Amino acid sequence: MAKRELIKERVPTPEVPVEERTKSFVEVNLGYDFASAIKEAERCIQCPPEYAPCIKGCPVHINIPGFIKALRENSNNSNEAVKNALRVIWNDNTLPAITGRVCPQEDQCEAPCVMGKVGDPINIGKLERFVADYARKHNIDEELLQEFANNGENMKGKVAVVGSGPAGLTAAGELAKMGYKVTIFEALHKPGGVLIYGIPEFRLPKEILDKEIAKLIELGVEIKPNYVIGKTLTLEELLEEYDAVFIGTGAGTPKLLNIPGILLDGIYTANEFLTRINLMKAYEFPKYDTPLTIGKRTVVIGAGNTAMDAARSALRMGSEVIIAYRRGREDMTARIEEIHHAEEEGVKFEFFLNPIEFIGDENGKVKAVKFEKMKALEEKDAKGKRKIVGTGEYILLEADTVVIAIGLEPNKVISEEATGLKTNPNGTLVVDERLMTSISGVFAGGDAIRGEATVILAMGDGKKAAKSIHEYIQKKYSSA
Amino acid sequence: MGYRITKKENLSAIDFFMEVEAPHIAHSWKVGQFVVLIADEKGERVPMSVYHAEDGKIGMFIRRHGVTTFKLWYEFDVGDEIFSITGPLGKPIEVKHYGNVVFVSDAVCAQAESYATLKAMKEAGNYTIAIQTFENAANTYPEKYLAKSVADEHYLTTEDGSIGIKGHYLDVLKELIEKDKVDIVFGGGKLGSLVKLAELTKPYGIPTIVTVRQIMVDGTGMCGSCRVLYDGEVKFACRDGPMFDAHKIDWEDAIKRNARFAKQEKLAKEMYMAKLKEKGVI
Ligand SMILES: Cc1cc2nc3c(=O)[nH]c(=O)nc-3n(C[C@H](O)[C@H](O)[C@H](O)COP(=O)(O)OP(=O)(O)OC[C@H]3O[C@@H](n4cnc5c(N)ncnc54)[C@H](O)[C@@H]3O)c2cc1C
Ligand SMILES: Cc1cc2nc3c(=O)[nH]c(=O)nc-3n(C[C@H](O)[C@H](O)[C@H](O)COP(=O)(O)OP(=O)(O)OC[C@H]3O[C@@H](n4cnc5c(N)ncnc54)[C@H](O)[C@@H]3O)c2cc1C
Ligand code: SF4
Ligand code: SF4
Ligand code: FES
Repeated sequence: MAKRELIKERVPTPEVPVEERTKSFVEVNLGYDFASAIKEAERCIQCPPEYAPCIKGCPVHINIPGFIKALRENSNNSNEAVKNALRVIWNDNTLPAITGRVCPQEDQCEAPCVMGKVGDPINIGKLERFVADYARKHNIDEELLQEFANNGENMKGKVAVVGSGPAGLTAAGELAKMGYKVTIFEALHKPGGVLIYGIPEFRLPKEILDKEIAKLIELGVEIKPNYVIGKTLTLEELLEEYDAVFIGTGAGTPKLLNIPGILLDGIYTANEFLTRINLMKAYEFPKYDTPLTIGKRTVVIGAGNTAMDAARSALRMGSEVIIAYRRGREDMTARIEEIHHAEEEGVKFEFFLNPIEFIGDENGKVKAVKFEKMKALEEKDAKGKRKIVGTGEYILLEADTVVIAIGLEPNKVISEEATGLKTNPNGTLVVDERLMTSISGVFAGGDAIRGEATVILAMGDGKKAAKSIHEYIQKKYSSA
Repeated sequence: MGYRITKKENLSAIDFFMEVEAPHIAHSWKVGQFVVLIADEKGERVPMSVYHAEDGKIGMFIRRHGVTTFKLWYEFDVGDEIFSITGPLGKPIEVKHYGNVVFVSDAVCAQAESYATLKAMKEAGNYTIAIQTFENAANTYPEKYLAKSVADEHYLTTEDGSIGIKGHYLDVLKELIEKDKVDIVFGGGKLGSLVKLAELTKPYGIPTIVTVRQIMVDGTGMCGSCRVLYDGEVKFACRDGPMFDAHKIDWEDAIKRNARFAKQEKLAKEMYMAKLKEKGVI
């Protein structure tokens, strides 16, 4: 084989210009077309699968060189190339259009890529996204679904899935493909979890999610929105009707700052702010009925994906935006691409500021946030971040809108009602290595067992739990 | 797939009754819990109290307030379907034998709760007293929708005296307390009145449990829109309430937070009214 020349730089993906995108919620990154995807794919040096570091970096171990090879091998037949590549991806991940967009690739698959040692790592996320988008637009995913769907007889057994985030959707899809009868119960009026209420349109267009959900319905999955398990139906009632239950209820409870002024008008949790915007479409008020007040100057507290999403949404609604973070720049937890986009769009960043009080006007509306300036020590904390301490110096940032994005914890609706369900002190559900909870036949995964984590980990859990549920049900019927 | 409207009836100059098919909620609803409904696909999630939950249906009293409730009144009829209804949400109240149980109400949600609560309390062997206050005769409901059938004693008051006793539930309650006839008070309605209610019962040490109405989005505890200060701690009205001990709520903040979207609501309502006028509906 002729020695390939190493191409050090990534093939770029086009983006909507800043001036245009900050006025709307259109998707920012436009992704590859076939020709540029092939060019990027050509850069991969095809490490052998048993060694390829990218595969180890991906939490669900997608055969990355495998799907890249499938693309390259058919560079003269785009449909064939995409179909073969998608087949490889689907073996481990059924929602590549989503993960390709939202995975923190720089910490996962792309981090150890050997090309990163000589230049840019392969743009695995964008390639994955390309395969999924192209397949969706050309109905290649429909064709492939026939291959993956269970064509034989139906399995004996019914499964209830609670929550329709990435964990629940994946578990439901996998079980339906095996031939089980699956019903998803979702508390909100629309399925998708964080993908629908949290992550904005400019990062994850809702049509992608709609298509994924349509596929599940095609596989025979029934979705029941407006069901809060623990309230509408109890876990016990589900167990009377279903052979097994999967809990994928996420970590949807916002943490609040325990400081004065938290009840002032104009202060939102990121969940309230983003739910009003994404799920309820408040940015189209009054065409849509749900309102949102947003002022001239927004301060967002926190520096994760949630904070970036809130900041960039506020910006699009016409506000000036400052992100205030109590640690330093290098400690921010958001995806690099989002931090980069936020900066490009004009979000300002202030570091080492710890909020200590919200100050209101005479009408109970917030007008400023008081912060203590912090400084970093050399010493690291348990999470490997530099410890921070107060300096005794204070500053005020004026703000008429504040968004608190300091984290989320598991929602306790189910665990409070189903007392047999064991939880850890932080509210996450206790599970064994099969992802079975303390109640036999009840499995769980995603943020409900991990606390705030990632989409791909939630999907990985959904897939693993589906396998365990299958084994559980098979055993149940064979011993009966 | 929506939820079919099975009954709709005008109650007064401002309120109406609506019943929808919601077997999933009727199956598990308990006194003290509420529902969240969405009229149509572009609609807002709005919380509603429950008047009754029977035969797979949920009955509600609704005030023609703003866009959502106007829509429900002007655009939806029996046989039509609303987009979404979720519940039951919030914590049920403890139904048990307390002795003399009073329910006080001066706004639409509480009129529904008055009937629902006293019905359960009477079945639990309590002596039940309803004090229902309306602004005036035009706003007062027909007798069959009052809590009369479930109250051993029933008082109807209007603020202008145009029907029933002239005055507010606070006046009647004060007399009952002085006659030593009150073991526990439940109530709801205007937040301003609830503050005074808390002040009235506190010196007597009478337990007072009321609905703390707050602006909600999801109604399940995931957004924090409905947060209130209770006994110095932040609680979510939808998840930890909506009924709380009135003596422990920070009422000043609760009242302020309820006006968070007043400007936008007014604007939306005006636009909607203009649309109705254009169509010749009103
Ligand atoms: C704003 C934001 C941005 C993010 N950005 C990224 C990103 O870029 N990349 C990334 O990898 N991760 C990101 N995350 C994290 C990621 O979204 C989560 O880790 C992931 O969604 C967890 O999936 P899940 O299925 O466990 O739960 P969720 O997505 O939280 O879904 C849980 C579902 O269960 C429902 N539910 C809860 N309780 C009940 C009940 N009692 N009965 C019925 N239904 C119930 C909820 O309504 C919800 O629909 C982000 C999170 C947020 C909030
Ligand atoms: C636990 C609870 C029980 C309720 N029960 C009833 C009831 O039985 N009957 C009834 O008519 N109303 C009830 N309400 C109030 C009802 O939710 C509002 O009337 C409704 O949201 C008005 O919507 P709108 O679009 O018609 O009016 P808008 O113009 O939007 O609002 C009118 C007023 O309603 C309140 N409100 C608006 N949006 C919300 C919201 N999302 N959540 C809560 N309050 C809001 C505000 O105080 C506002 O000023 C209840 C509220 C709560 C919290
Ligand atoms: S799922 Fe995420 S981590 Fe895995 S290959 Fe795709 S983008 Fe990378
Ligand atoms: S590590 Fe990088 S170069 Fe090697 S196979 Fe994976 S993507 Fe290709
Ligand atoms: S309404 Fe969202 S937490 Fe109560």
